[in-house]
Amino acid sequence: MLRMQNLSKVYRTHMIETHALRGFEINVKQGEFVTVTGPSGSGKTSFLNIAGLLEEFTDGEYILDGINVKGMDDNARSRLRNEKLGFIFQGFNLIPDLSLFDNVDVPLRYRGFNAAERKERIEDALSKVGLASRMKHYPAELSGGQQQRVAIARALAGSPKLLLADEPTGNLDTQMARGVMELLEEINAQGTTILMVTHDPELAVRSQRNVHIIDGQVSDLVRKSPTLFDANANADGKSHVA
Amino acid sequence: MFQYYFLLGLRSLRRNPALTALMVLTLAVGVAASVATLTILHVMSGDPIPHKSDRLFVPLVDNGPIEGYKPGDDRPDNQVSYRDAVNFLNSKAAERATAIYGTSVAVEPARKDMTVFISRGLGVGSDFFNMFDAPFLHGQPWSPADDKAGANVVVLGRKLAEKLYGGTDPVGQRITMSGQQYQIVGVLDTWTVVPRFHRIIGSSDGAFSDEDDMFIPFAAGIRNELPRNGSTTCTSDVPPGYQAFLDSECTWIQFWFETRSASDRPALQNYLDSYAAEQRKLGRLKRNAPNVLYDVREWLDFMKVVGNDSKLSAWLAFGFLVLCLVNTIGLLLAKFSVRAAEVGIRRALGASRREIFNQFLIETTVVGLVGGVLGLVLAFGALALIAMQSKALTVVAHMDWIMLLTTFAMAVLSAVLAGLLPTWRACQVTPALQLKSQ
Repeated sequence: MLRMQNLSKVYRTHMIETHALRGFEINVKQGEFVTVTGPSGSGKTSFLNIAGLLEEFTDGEYILDGINVKGMDDNARSRLRNEKLGFIFQGFNLIPDLSLFDNVDVPLRYRGFNAAERKERIEDALSKVGLASRMKHYPAELSGGQQQRVAIARALAGSPKLLLADEPTGNLDTQMARGVMELLEEINAQGTTILMVTHDPELAVRSQRNVHIIDGQVSDLVRKSPTLFDANANADGKSHVA
Repeated sequence: MFQYYFLLGLRSLRRNPALTALMVLTLAVGVAASVATLTILHVMSGDPIPHKSDRLFVPLVDNGPIEGYKPGDDRPDNQVSYRDAVNFLNSKAAERATAIYGTSVAVEPARKDMTVFISRGLGVGSDFFNMFDAPFLHGQPWSPADDKAGANVVVLGRKLAEKLYGGTDPVGQRITMSGQQYQIVGVLDTWTVVPRFHRIIGSSDGAFSDEDDMFIPFAAGIRNELPRNGSTTCTSDVPPGYQAFLDSECTWIQFWFETRSASDRPALQNYLDSYAAEQRKLGRLKRNAPNVLYDVREWLDFMKVVGNDSKLSAWLAFGFLVLCLVNTIGLLLAKFSVRAAEVGIRRALGASRREIFNQFLIETTVVGLVGGVLGLVLAFGALALIAMQSKALTVVAHMDWIMLLTTFAMAVLSAVLAGLLPTWRACQVTPALQLKSQ
């Protein structure tokens, strides 16, 4: 699904060169739920931004769903981002003066779906996150957890292959965080690949694989056994925070 | 996507309403000021008779004294003497010709409830009406025979006809003017020519004066010795008596020729040159000055119908518009800078830079449209204020469809121009930076 080889990202000012990523290697398979951890300044966000085609990399290779993204122009990158990727951010990043319906509508507009299909997808996505009845509401009228659910609905509406989540529970209390995490696990169970940056070791433990980044490099790849992952599951098969 | 962006634009008007109102007002004031002055300039500088403006000519010969004359001096005046006018009329040098002079008469109404009043009019040839497309409500022009005989016939302007006879057709009736009986042969319909090119000199408000009350044959005005209204230029003393004045070199008559086609102009110029040469030979014309023909557009230029003041006002108004645009740019920059987060989100969700550019430019277009509507209201107000200044300005200070559309086009174009820099800046937002900072 996502493969980076010997990838580097250097931020240059007229005085200093900062190597955010160097010799970065990762391979995420279709359907995986991968968490990315690491200390502040280790390069997690740079990695996620490059993975999300929001930033260009300096050197190396990045293959997204079989497409080499190197050298793509802005239009092609935007189209690919719209079709293949979904984003969930720590700060929710909903547009405050659009209703929930219109917020979820944004990526679908860029995709060029007709009105009927957009409506169907929006209603479906909001139903999945349990907010179908509040379509006409505005973000400010919702709790943080509900806002994050809308952001997830927005990310899902376009049926992305890869969901990129940057500390999605960072601004939520424990109960809300648990709800969001369960939702992500459900989405993953339905086949969507998830790549999640987190500081929370408890959340990292719940993923299938944890990638630890230090100084812009993958320090170790922890493939957890299915038993460990399953050990965190309830009898009904749903995950919960250990 | 246009419709989507347009709706977003309408919505964004509600965001920061104070900033939006300031932006719309700034744009509207700039556009209104420009449109108001441009409207006046547009009306003033329009071709009043486009289908024949290149076939109507004012002839001028210089009959000034030789004393103090240097070749190349500016032409002293813009009318002709009675002798030249009569010679031109008799020449048959063109398809049609008319002499024009302003006069006024004391109208003595037949109705007992009305008292004597003064009316303004013109002494003209019978060709005048066809030459300048004067529209007849009743009757027709008098005949060339009436011209020759100086018959007491009259064509009334609509206002005077309605004042004297209400809505009825007065053709065939007699009217007493300055002690003489005139037979009414026609009534003109409302006839507003802007600028009033055929009679610029001597009108109270120049090229933008009101309609004339009545028209009598030029020869009748002379025969009845009706007074002259307007400018008269004499370069030497004139002996007493009306005939002595007619025989003098005083210039007080406006003359027009109409040729069959524009290509007949050289032939008319030849006639004028031959005529002047002959008059020089006779010792009447002293100066060896060029003889000039002006077509309608040239005549309006020569007479400076659109004065330098009007042009300067237009430039100043456009300068003001530029100032307003600069302000609008600043306001748009402020408005868009707080939207950086939204740009980041939209970019993350698949919007290309081009899409962001389109969205923000359409938003500024919406601001332009609202500014256009308000600008139009302000422009109407400004024109109404201008019209209150004088009667002449009332004629020119009105908006037509062209100017109405121009207002909108100017508002939208101004908004788009003002929006280019802020929109470009919005496109440069780094999405990753914005998304993390939220």
